Amino acid sequence: MTRYAMVLDKRRCIGCQSCTVACRTWNELPMDIIYNPVVTEGVLGEFPYVHQTFTPLLCMHCDNPPCTICCPCKASQQDDDGIVWVEATKCMGCKVCVNSCPYGARDVNGAEGFVRKCTFCKDRVRENEQPYCVATCHQKARTFGDLDDPESDVSKLVNSLVTERIFVELGTDPQVYYIPDLGGAK
Amino acid sequence: MSETVDIHAPDVEVKKSCCYFCHQNCGVLAYVRDGKVLKIEGDPTHPTNQGGLCCRGNIALLHLDHPARINHPLKRAGKKGENKWEKVSWDTAIAEIANKLNQIKEESGAEAVATAGGTLRTDDWARRRFMNLFGSPNGFHNALLCWIPTFMVETAVSGWSPFETDLGTSRCVILWGFNPGASAMPGMRGYSDLRKAGLKLIVVDPRYSETAAHADLWLPLRPGSDTALALAMIWVIIYEGHYDQEFVENWCVGFEELQEHIFDYTPEWASEHTWLDPELIREAARMYAKNTPGNIQWGCTADQLGKTSGAGMHARAILRALTGNLDRPGGDLMPGPSHYYVTDEELEANDWLPEEQKARQIGSDHFKLTSWPGYQRIADVSREVWGKAPTAEWMCEAHGPSVFKAILTGDPYQIRAMIVSATNPVNSYGDAKMVLAALKQLEFLVVCEYWMTPAALYADYVMPIAGALERPIVHNNYGVTDSLITSQRAIQPLYERHTDYNFWRDLALASGQDPDQWPWETLEEAFYYVIYSFIENGYQFGSYDEFVEKYRMFYPPLHYYKYGTNGFATPSRRVELKSSVLEELGYPALPTWIGPAENEIDDPEVAKEYPLVLTTGGGFMPYHHSEQFNISSVRFLYPEPYFTINPQKAQELGIKSGDWCWIETRRGRIRQRANVEPSVDARVIYCQRGWWYPERQESLDEEPFGCLESNVNVLTSVDNEHCDPIGGSWANRGLLCKVYKVSYWDDTDTDFSIPGSAAEPGISVPPSKQPLAYEPIPYDPQPGFEVPEGLTWDPNTKLAWNLESGLAYDPESGWLYHPETLVYYDLVTGYAYDPENETLVDEATGQRYNMETREPLESEGAHTADGVVSDVAPGATGEKGE
Repeated sequence: MTRYAMVLDKRRCIGCQSCTVACRTWNELPMDIIYNPVVTEGVLGEFPYVHQTFTPLLCMHCDNPPCTICCPCKASQQDDDGIVWVEATKCMGCKVCVNSCPYGARDVNGAEGFVRKCTFCKDRVRENEQPYCVATCHQKARTFGDLDDPESDVSKLVNSLVTERIFVELGTDPQVYYIPDLGGAK
Repeated sequence: MSETVDIHAPDVEVKKSCCYFCHQNCGVLAYVRDGKVLKIEGDPTHPTNQGGLCCRGNIALLHLDHPARINHPLKRAGKKGENKWEKVSWDTAIAEIANKLNQIKEESGAEAVATAGGTLRTDDWARRRFMNLFGSPNGFHNALLCWIPTFMVETAVSGWSPFETDLGTSRCVILWGFNPGASAMPGMRGYSDLRKAGLKLIVVDPRYSETAAHADLWLPLRPGSDTALALAMIWVIIYEGHYDQEFVENWCVGFEELQEHIFDYTPEWASEHTWLDPELIREAARMYAKNTPGNIQWGCTADQLGKTSGAGMHARAILRALTGNLDRPGGDLMPGPSHYYVTDEELEANDWLPEEQKARQIGSDHFKLTSWPGYQRIADVSREVWGKAPTAEWMCEAHGPSVFKAILTGDPYQIRAMIVSATNPVNSYGDAKMVLAALKQLEFLVVCEYWMTPAALYADYVMPIAGALERPIVHNNYGVTDSLITSQRAIQPLYERHTDYNFWRDLALASGQDPDQWPWETLEEAFYYVIYSFIENGYQFGSYDEFVEKYRMFYPPLHYYKYGTNGFATPSRRVELKSSVLEELGYPALPTWIGPAENEIDDPEVAKEYPLVLTTGGGFMPYHHSEQFNISSVRFLYPEPYFTINPQKAQELGIKSGDWCWIETRRGRIRQRANVEPSVDARVIYCQRGWWYPERQESLDEEPFGCLESNVNVLTSVDNEHCDPIGGSWANRGLLCKVYKVSYWDDTDTDFSIPGSAAEPGISVPPSKQPLAYEPIPYDPQPGFEVPEGLTWDPNTKLAWNLESGLAYDPESGWLYHPETLVYYDLVTGYAYDPENETLVDEATGQRYNMETREPLESEGAHTADGVVSDVAPGATGEKGE
């Protein structure tokens, strides 16, 4: 089996938001939709003893996604490889899934009337390419791959480092892992 | 492949293009069908970006056919600045511009035409070529704020600017006023990787930047005090004995003088100026000096400190030399000009500019190193050692602010026309109000642009220029490195856009320049000429495009320790810690502390009213200089300008996060919103650069597109006394300011004023009368010997010459000698010395004379004048007749 997952290295992320812009140009998103914002925490502390971290967000492609079971028209669905996506032609824009997602990872574009969200660039992934946000990251802070393959980079990272996941206590079993940033300048 | 287009379809071509929204020139793959670009993505095989693209790179497609782009030549139809235009054809516009320029040249001389360039968007060797053939020395860029003075000072000191860092084996890097985390993404990736492998990273930055966050040692100094830090680091390295003794003994001159000169610049002394703990300075110096090989990465800061800039550059050049890091594995590499391809300098046709025109270059009387006097000296030495000279475009230019002042005052002469290419001077040059006033007043203005900028609004003609995907690009670091990376155009320019090369070529031909001087019809032809000699090195290609597709880049074999063969390219062939080039030009030969343009120690009166220290000019994502403000897909990240203030100070001033505030210096004020965070010292204000509001199409009268409202260059100073006398950099950082909340009863702002007290609007002292930060030190070396009668002392060569025969005087032996053949001649008679026969020979007749009596000798017939030459000094042999 294949289980796609992403690892984000917060030690390498510099908060440049290239992925945010890249995603919107590659996927030709309307202005009011963002799949992957970067959240800045800080600058915290007292000068000059300060630190700052960046957390790139995206759909967590959960193993137990609340957004698929709640969909009344089966538009919001999950493939066998773990990718959660919305079939635009079936979606009626009721926003139940938008409300159910604890990560705020989906939204309706007013003009189009259906829900849009990150698809791990499944068009690219199925051509054996990286999702566009991974390819475009100058800092190589993003790693994407098959978690079921023990030789893949994501498995190696997840299994060899301490990683964090967001809202894991909600039981969604998110499949986006974060390597925490432990320190800044001396 | 994307949800809307299939880029793997068989009729889709992949073009190896590149991004050019900053200097990195990251590789871009463009997917093209029927002359239309479908998608772009980062090129995973490109050495710079390895597939990565930042915010700016990713919007190339939106940039290509943005509704606000200028697509046709526009001719002014209304009054200046009225925004009324008539569309004209490219050829018509070119012909009319050429006529006007020729008319001005006829009436006022070619020097009345100036050109302003922007950052690497263009092939400015073509611009230089045009200007040289036209006869004007007054081209300029914002070069003096960006590396060029550093390049020239370092080249004066060590023969070439060691700007390439050999990071693979380096152990310590100082990122000095450089924040790759926001301005050089691929570089930042490299530093993160290397740091993991043990590289020590020292970051010098007053702000907790994206890069400082990854540092081993962060030096948050007072903005503008970098020179003091560099001097103190030299002190630590010399007086704690951390310098590379072998390198200094063998390859440096002036060490003893430096050691004496630097004596007072202790870390404790520097602490007062830099606000850094002396121990921190010591630690940094030790970390850098003990972890060799190491590097100092250049950062823009070096060139933006105003009058203190030159000494700082010199001090950093000395740091590199003291630690022996020059041109060694893992150190600061000095590639020199390329011998494998045609350099930019060779394309510029500098020989065509007459000497008397060179002398008319504006600013060359004040800021000599980066204009013709200094460039000529450096280029001469460089040709002797490297065989080629550095690029003259960038390195040898008019002083931009002085040109704008000349437009307003006619001092030293009236500039009547300007061609602005790829820059928005109102936002990118110092003292924005003055620049705007100059553009409004200028008689004839042509702007080559993508957008309707504040400058373009006042143009007589606006010319549409081809952008990134529409033109080929050769990336060779301003023509001063020996490698290059090439990229092809994805599509031909849309609409009536042309490359800037074609603009200059068409203008050249229309204004009557010889077509033989412009043999290349397209950029591809010109670049084919540049790289043609690669064919001799085994590369196989029949056109420029083929080279890009097959090879894309050229890296010659890496040679270290090149100075081992020819020495360093300085007059003494050594690293001149005490620089003779600077001394000859009238500057301090050793780096001497001079405070930043405004500072609380030298100007306590100013500091009373303006108690905070301002720093501007730092790059921030997602913008590059004043670009991309009109592209909504990046503007949404940062719709409004922010300045950074420490929470403690903000509380004191009653400022909350997000408040609109005025930031005011002696030259004017701007408003930005408050970003309250502890990333700067409580005494420091960090302002974002570049801001204008292209969306404001109304109210174009006084201040088009809100170009002064939030523009930091309203605050910066270009007063002559604030500029660096060596390189001409003006003051962007370390200025004094105050900050207060915007309220509705605010008075209107003052007009611009030079010198910088808002009390007297306009330029109250003509530029030529404005004092410099320090007076030139007269360079008048005296002969250390008595000059014999009939000979002339020349201070430049430090020799006495017989001007008739071209022979030099050797004070030790008392003879004359020929500087090239080294044959010795008798001082009185001018006869050559023949050491074999101990006689004098009249080279003209072959007649021999007695050494002592100078009586003619009997001719022996066998000797000819050819056989008598010798480079043995008569005095040195000990056999010469006394």
